[in-house]
Amino acid sequence: MPVLLIRNDGLVKSVQFKKHKYVGDPINAVKIFNEKEVDEIIILDIDASAKKEAPNFKLVEKICGESFMPLAYGGGVKTLEDAQKLLYNGAEKIVLNTSLLEQPKVIESIAKQFGNQSVVASIDYRTSLFGKPKVYGFNGSKKTKWTALELAKKAADYGAGEIMLNAIDRDGTYKGYDLETLKTVSSSVDVPVIACGGASGLEDFEEAIKHGAGAVAAGSMFVFQRPHQAVLISYPNSVELNKLNEKL
Amino acid sequence: MKSYNEEALKNDPKANFGRPYKQCTISVMDTIADPDITFDEKGVSNYYKEFKKAKEQNVFNGEKGKQKLVDLVNQIKSKGKNKKYDCITGVSGGVDSTYVALKAKELGLRPLIVHFDNGWNSETANKNIENIIKNTGFDLYTLVVDWNEFRDLQRAYFKANVVDIEALTDHAIICTLYKLAIEHNIEFILSGANVVTEQILPRHWIWGKTDGKNIQAIHQEYGEVKLKTFPTYSAFKFELFKKRKGLRSVRILDYMEYNKKQAKSEIQEKLGWKDYGGKHFESVFTRFYQGYILPVKFGIDKRKAHLSTLIFDGQLTKEYALEQLQLPIYDPDLMREDYEFVRKKLGFSEEEFMNYFKAPRVEHSSFEHDKRNIWENYPLFKVVKPLWKIIKKVK
Repeated sequence: MPVLLIRNDGLVKSVQFKKHKYVGDPINAVKIFNEKEVDEIIILDIDASAKKEAPNFKLVEKICGESFMPLAYGGGVKTLEDAQKLLYNGAEKIVLNTSLLEQPKVIESIAKQFGNQSVVASIDYRTSLFGKPKVYGFNGSKKTKWTALELAKKAADYGAGEIMLNAIDRDGTYKGYDLETLKTVSSSVDVPVIACGGASGLEDFEEAIKHGAGAVAAGSMFVFQRPHQAVLISYPNSVELNKLNEKL
Repeated sequence: MKSYNEEALKNDPKANFGRPYKQCTISVMDTIADPDITFDEKGVSNYYKEFKKAKEQNVFNGEKGKQKLVDLVNQIKSKGKNKKYDCITGVSGGVDSTYVALKAKELGLRPLIVHFDNGWNSETANKNIENIIKNTGFDLYTLVVDWNEFRDLQRAYFKANVVDIEALTDHAIICTLYKLAIEHNIEFILSGANVVTEQILPRHWIWGKTDGKNIQAIHQEYGEVKLKTFPTYSAFKFELFKKRKGLRSVRILDYMEYNKKQAKSEIQEKLGWKDYGGKHFESVFTRFYQGYILPVKFGIDKRKAHLSTLIFDGQLTKEYALEQLQLPIYDPDLMREDYEFVRKKLGFSEEEFMNYFKAPRVEHSSFEHDKRNIWENYPLFKVVKPLWKIIKKVK
């Protein structure tokens, strides 16, 4: 599934959570993905929490008006009311990142009210010098005491229905997923894990699923054409995806 | 929602610019389409002669065309030796530009492919461009203009009630091609423009695509957002680029038998190209602009020009063209869907949008524009021109 990042109402794509490049109008991008019959889409407002802003309810409403795909939305969700409003505006799932670190109780209340399937806990991590996957908050700018595994376990305990594991070091690099961490985490929690960061092709999806991912996400791969990082939305067609499914 | 009713327009003297309705005897160009149209004693419009002349002067078929194309390709290759790219070309995902990319591949050229993303791409256009890149192996460069800026520009053109809203996109593409050509030290721009499918283009329908001054003037008057990423050059700068850097645009389609139907089946077969129905319907905005805005607000049915050009070239009959014109310009359901989509995306209220379609046309020339072509605007200068040339040479 595609992960799209929003900043100042525009779509951007990062490399290792930095060097954000403007890639266009989110509404049109969603419209195109929708026509490509994408199963699900994740949209993250990467500025909302840092700027202490509320989620962009209007944008969610606009996007959902243009698409039939289930949408998972994250960015600035702090309260049950935020989540409720987003779900009423058409989002299907709520992604929590900052709140997972600062006030995990919110996860519990959303999960209780709307079901576990509506909560995705998002974890951004960097692999430390000693090979430990350390969790970072606020767009990868602040190191926390957690390891990815510890936090994933905690998120699942609080009722998250899915865990999105985002490898900061691999973001936008096309180096492939961090299979090691993926395997460790997915084998230790009962909920599905979404792999994110580093995908460059269908082979990476295959590997991730073999290593325990419940779903796979990618950004650059779906919005860029190399070598000039030319913006062009693309998505594997059903034939390619069926082939992949048969293999697994 | 207002709609286009050709029959009613025929009886409306205003829609015919004060003349009785008349249609060219050979083609489907008429007095509704164009205030400047003239007819000879047999009722044949001026466009017929213009087409014949352009074809005679610029189109080279058969052996002559082949030879010319070979010479051109050799020249491009030799000038581009040791460079990463020997030419540059823009793609929209439409027939003409896709065909140019295919021919470039077959001719052994190494173009840099450029795409301009103005926030209105359709899925089909995207897929078509992806297929071009995949199947030719050429490199792609995309200019993504900031949507907030581009929306503001388009809103300004709506508020100004000027006809050529697409000049914004066309101008930005040309600027990007020039800019990249200079960056990569490329001399040749492969153009998809051609005589046989698009020679007819009444002045009444368009405004100069290199006139950056006009864009800035209209935006100055009606825009609200500061322009930071939208590229504009003055017409003067384009001339400068051509002269100083030796940049030139070459129309390779004029050097071959260019038949639309055949071209379509060729790109479908070789590049997996997908038809989106209708000329230039690759972008949602273009589709709505040509299918709704132009006819409903400006009384312009662009199909008349496309069909007439093809009639002149013997690619189809007038009867067939008349039948085609009877059909709706595009699917009415899709049109209604686009109407709302465009309105919302541009941020107009229902009332504002409705009023736009009622408001009268305003000419581009009522805003500041490029007046560089003084020889045309002031006939008196024509006398001075040869003198001026001599002075320039002496200098």
